Amino acid sequence: MADEELAYATLGELGARFRRRELSPVELVRAQLARIEALDPSLRAFVTLTADQALADARAAEAALRRGAAGPLTGVPVAYKDLYATRGVRTTAGSALLADWVPDHDATCVARLARAGVVVLGKLITHEFAFGIQFPGHRFPPARNPWNLDHIPGGSSSGSGAALAAGLVAGSLGSDTGGSIRGPAALCGIVGLKPTYGRTSRAGVVTLSWTLDHTGPMARTVEDVALLLGALAGHDPADPASSRAPVADYTAGLGQPIRGLRIGVPRDYFHDGLDAEVARAFDEALAALRGLGAVVEGVEIPHIWDSWAFMAIMLAEAFAYHERDLRERPGLYGEVLREKMLAGALITASEYVQAQRLRARLADAMAAVLRRVDVLATPTTPAPAPTFATVLDPGFPFARSNMAPFNMSGLPALALPCGFSARGLPLSLQLAGRPFDEATVLRVGRAYEQATDWHRRRPPLTP
Amino acid sequence: MTLDEVRARMRAAGVEIPEDRLELVRRLLTDALGPIRALDARAAKALEPAVRFDAAAPRDVDGG
Repeated sequence: MADEELAYATLGELGARFRRRELSPVELVRAQLARIEALDPSLRAFVTLTADQALADARAAEAALRRGAAGPLTGVPVAYKDLYATRGVRTTAGSALLADWVPDHDATCVARLARAGVVVLGKLITHEFAFGIQFPGHRFPPARNPWNLDHIPGGSSSGSGAALAAGLVAGSLGSDTGGSIRGPAALCGIVGLKPTYGRTSRAGVVTLSWTLDHTGPMARTVEDVALLLGALAGHDPADPASSRAPVADYTAGLGQPIRGLRIGVPRDYFHDGLDAEVARAFDEALAALRGLGAVVEGVEIPHIWDSWAFMAIMLAEAFAYHERDLRERPGLYGEVLREKMLAGALITASEYVQAQRLRARLADAMAAVLRRVDVLATPTTPAPAPTFATVLDPGFPFARSNMAPFNMSGLPALALPCGFSARGLPLSLQLAGRPFDEATVLRVGRAYEQATDWHRRRPPLTP
Repeated sequence: MTLDEVRARMRAAGVEIPEDRLELVRRLLTDALGPIRALDARAAKALEPAVRFDAAAPRDVDGG
């Protein structure tokens, strides 16, 4: 297998090659470290590279393979959004405030993947505190989009999206408060899953907004995301929001046909201001799903425009979390992030509570629609990736999001590639499902992915 | 929301935001509070907030 093929191999392919002794985890790690050294200076996905730890992890994986004790993720190279605490490895949250923080513990998700035998290559840059993009002069520069370096990779799991699209890692962890897993997945042409609220632990992940924060996997295929979810899901007593709902086998149903499944398409809100290329790619995706036997029908979600109250909740909770540092050390926050967070101080207690009431009503409305259909389909983002020049304008508005309704409702939502713009930028399909029914969402996503080749395309990278 | 209302809220909250950034904050709050201002709280008396307290939930009060 050529180096390029190896860099873009799926988790399933890597595991199979390890077990057949055609490839060793140490050999793979060395190849990945060389690729990172060549490509990351222009991509800037990594904030910390843990080469020595990766080689130690790989040797341990080789020993497990020799003992016949390997699981599906043994030896696969991953890296984590730098919002996840990693014991002994600095965890910056993309911020000057935490630039030198070295946790003495692992986030639960990190610990679970360690138990599954993954090889950790390092930490990936996140937007500052998962909210504010790094402006020029910030302690850490922002990651760039492998499909076009002038464009943003999306955020806040920006490094995760860029590293996966560039073949620097085979899997990653992101976090998603209003679309921070699905946004970079969409703009970088990879796959990201925001599981149901409570499905995967938030313990040890730096908080942005307690009631909206989700953790979840990012990878290049739906199957890989399912494999990672299988290792991550399950109750965690360290996370007060963690659910005791039974954990499914997320890969078991992936090959099943989707004939007869009902796919609801809500156009109100989700198609407002939609880019023409995104609209065309989305309609073609629906046609492909129909071709697979799914029943595609329009649906209305009452109160969907109340989704924007998400911002009131996020701002108020983010300010509550950061208030002391914002007041005592404001210079350690990027200017634009600081002002967005200070806006949270301007939301009254009553407004916060009203936003949570609207959220309850919206969640009920979405659940009611999902009693009539099996999944919902929408474009993940209304447009392809914007340029840095666009978003670094301090007046650039916080755009309305097609992803935030699923943070408000807590429903599982998957982003996967569904085409490219004329300028070669990825476009993305979002599939959402019933609470804790990630299996059906992944099944539909996998069926669509297998009927298309978008996930096999690679960005034009040169060192 | 007007810029004067933003300034009044800043005074009440005890925070300072540079004058040249107030328009950004005004737009952010206008978007965020739009659905809330449209809610007729009297007509939705039975609607409870999504956040519920669970007396039995385990929690780490140190945030670790």
